[in-house]
Amino acid sequence: MQVYVNGHPVALLVGMTVKHALIAAGVLEELASGKQVFDEWGQEIGLAGALTAEMKIFVR
Amino acid sequence: MKRIKVIIFFLVWALLSIPAADGGQTELRILYVNDFHGFAEPHQPVGAVEPLGGVAYLAGKVDRLRRGRPTLLLAGGDMTQGNNWANFFKGASSIELMNAMKFDALVVGNHEFDYGVGVLKKRISQARFPVLGANVQGLSAVKPYVIKKFPGLRVAIIGVVTQDTPVTTHPRNVVGLKFLNPDDTVAGYLEKLKNQADIFIVLTHLGHPVDRMMAVKVKGIDVIVGGHSHTKVMKPAVAGNTLVVQAWEHAKALGVLDLTIQDRKIVKYDGYLEEIKPVPGGENPAVQKIVAKYEGQLDRLVNVAIGEAEVDLDGQHVRTRETNLGNLITDIIRETTGATAAIINGGGIRTGIPKGVVKIKDVYTALPFDNYLVSLRLTGREIREALEHGVSSLGEPAGRFPQVSGLRFTYSLSAPAGSRVREVIIGGGPLDPVKEYAVATHDFLIAGGDGYKVFSRAINTDNHGHLGGLLKSDRIIYNDASRWLRDVVIQYIQTNKKITARVEGRIQEIL
Repeated sequence: MQVYVNGHPVALLVGMTVKHALIAAGVLEELASGKQVFDEWGQEIGLAGALTAEMKIFVR
Repeated sequence: MKRIKVIIFFLVWALLSIPAADGGQTELRILYVNDFHGFAEPHQPVGAVEPLGGVAYLAGKVDRLRRGRPTLLLAGGDMTQGNNWANFFKGASSIELMNAMKFDALVVGNHEFDYGVGVLKKRISQARFPVLGANVQGLSAVKPYVIKKFPGLRVAIIGVVTQDTPVTTHPRNVVGLKFLNPDDTVAGYLEKLKNQADIFIVLTHLGHPVDRMMAVKVKGIDVIVGGHSHTKVMKPAVAGNTLVVQAWEHAKALGVLDLTIQDRKIVKYDGYLEEIKPVPGGENPAVQKIVAKYEGQLDRLVNVAIGEAEVDLDGQHVRTRETNLGNLITDIIRETTGATAAIINGGGIRTGIPKGVVKIKDVYTALPFDNYLVSLRLTGREIREALEHGVSSLGEPAGRFPQVSGLRFTYSLSAPAGSRVREVIIGGGPLDPVKEYAVATHDFLIAGGDGYKVFSRAINTDNHGHLGGLLKSDRIIYNDASRWLRDVVIQYIQTNKKITARVEGRIQEIL
C-alpha cells in the first residue's frame, strides 16, 4: 500500500497506521514540537488511525 | 386488567410505528464515539498541552446531551482493544462501561476480532446493545442492522466493517468468517429496509476517506457515522447527499449531530465535536466506578508472577553489543513466526529483567512499545544491508544496533560504515547474497524505524495487494497486528516458567 506524507510516497503494509507512515517518512519526531497530522480535507487524524491506499496526509 | 395492558401495549406500539406525518417535523440527536481502544483514563497525547479524554467525563457529557430529546448513542468500532485497560480483560471492561452508558449500537471494528471469534461471541453475549456487522458472514451473533423507533420516526442503523479485517488481525482470529464488500452490502440492506425505516444511518468502521466514497457511490444513505481512521471531523462533511461524521479517538471527543426530519428527509442539521476534558464534577459516577474497578484489577494483574529468570537479563547494553535479553527476545520472535532468522533494533528494549521472579510489569517495562511481529522474505544481500545499517553508528550507543537470532556475524569497527560486516552465518551456512531467507522483525522496523530502510524498500518492491479479501504477498510471510511483542514474550515466559539466556557470540567485533 502506498500513501503520501507531505507529498512524498511511502510504502506500508495493509493495516499499518498513520504512525507507521510518519516513521517511514522520517517525520514522527516533529509531533513532539506540537505539529499535528491532517488529512487532505484539513481534518486532524490520530497516530493510530487507519490508512487507505493512496491517502494523502500532512504534518504541519 | 390484562385487557387494559394489552390495549396500552398496542397503543404504544402503534404510536412508535407511525411514520412522520407529512408536514410534521421530528428531531433526533445522534451522539457518537469511535476508536475508544480502552483509553478509559484522561491522558496527555504527544504534543498536547493538557490532559484530554476520560470516559467517565465523556459519559457525563452524554448524560447532559441526552436530556429531554430523542437520542441515539452509537459506537463506530474498536472499543474493546488497544490500551491495557481493555486488553487485560479482553474487552470485558469496555462492554461493561458501554452497558452502563446505554449505547444503542456498536459496529464491530477490525480490532474487535483480535481476541478471536470465541471471545468476541462472549463479549456480544454480555452487551446489552446490538453489535452490528452486515458484511460479516459466519458469525450469527453479529447483526446486520437494527431499527430504532421514536414517536413518528423509524431509524435504520446498518453496520459495516473494513474488508481488510482478515489482514489486519491474525488469520486464526477470523477463521470461518467472510468479509463482504461494504458498498454492495449496504446497498442491499437499503433496498431491503426501504419500507421499514424513515432515515438510514450507516455505522461504519471503514475510515473517513472510504466513508466519503461510499456516500457518493451508494445512494440513499442519510448519515454515515464512521470510525477506523481516527478522524477529527469537527463539522459534518457532506458527500453526495449524505452527512459523514467521525469523532476522533480515545474518548477525546464526543460527536453530536442534531437532525430535523420531515417527510423522511433531513431538512436541517447541526453537528459538532465536544472535546472531552477531565473537569472535576463532570464525570458520570457509575462509569467512574467501572473505570476505577478495572484500574484496580489491572494494578494487581501486572504484579502477578509469570515465571522466573535464572540469570540477570541484560537490557542495558542492547545498543552496543549482543546481550542475553536481546537473544531471548529474538529467539522468541523467531520461534513464534517460524522464520529462519530474527533481527530487531536494540533500542526497542528499554531495560533489563533482574534474576528472580518475573512479573508482567517487568516485561512491559522492558518492552514498552506497541510493536507487533512481521516476517518477510529477504535476500542474503538485503540481510547483510540490514546488519550493516545496524552497526553503522558505533562509537556511541545507538538504537539501531541489532539483536539477532538464527544468524551470527562479525564486524570490524575499523572499516567505514556500510562495509563493516564480515562473515555472516545463517541457517548453519554462509549467507548467500541471492538466496531468500525468512526474516522476522517487528512493524517499527518494517516501516523504516531507526533508519532500517531495507525492510520498507522490500515491501515497496513487493507485489502485495488483495485477492478475494486476503493479502496476496510475495514477500510477507507473517503479520500479526493483533498481539504486541511484549504479550508474545509474556506468553512464552508463562509457558516455560524458568527462563535463561546467554551471550553466545552471535555478534562479534573483530579487528
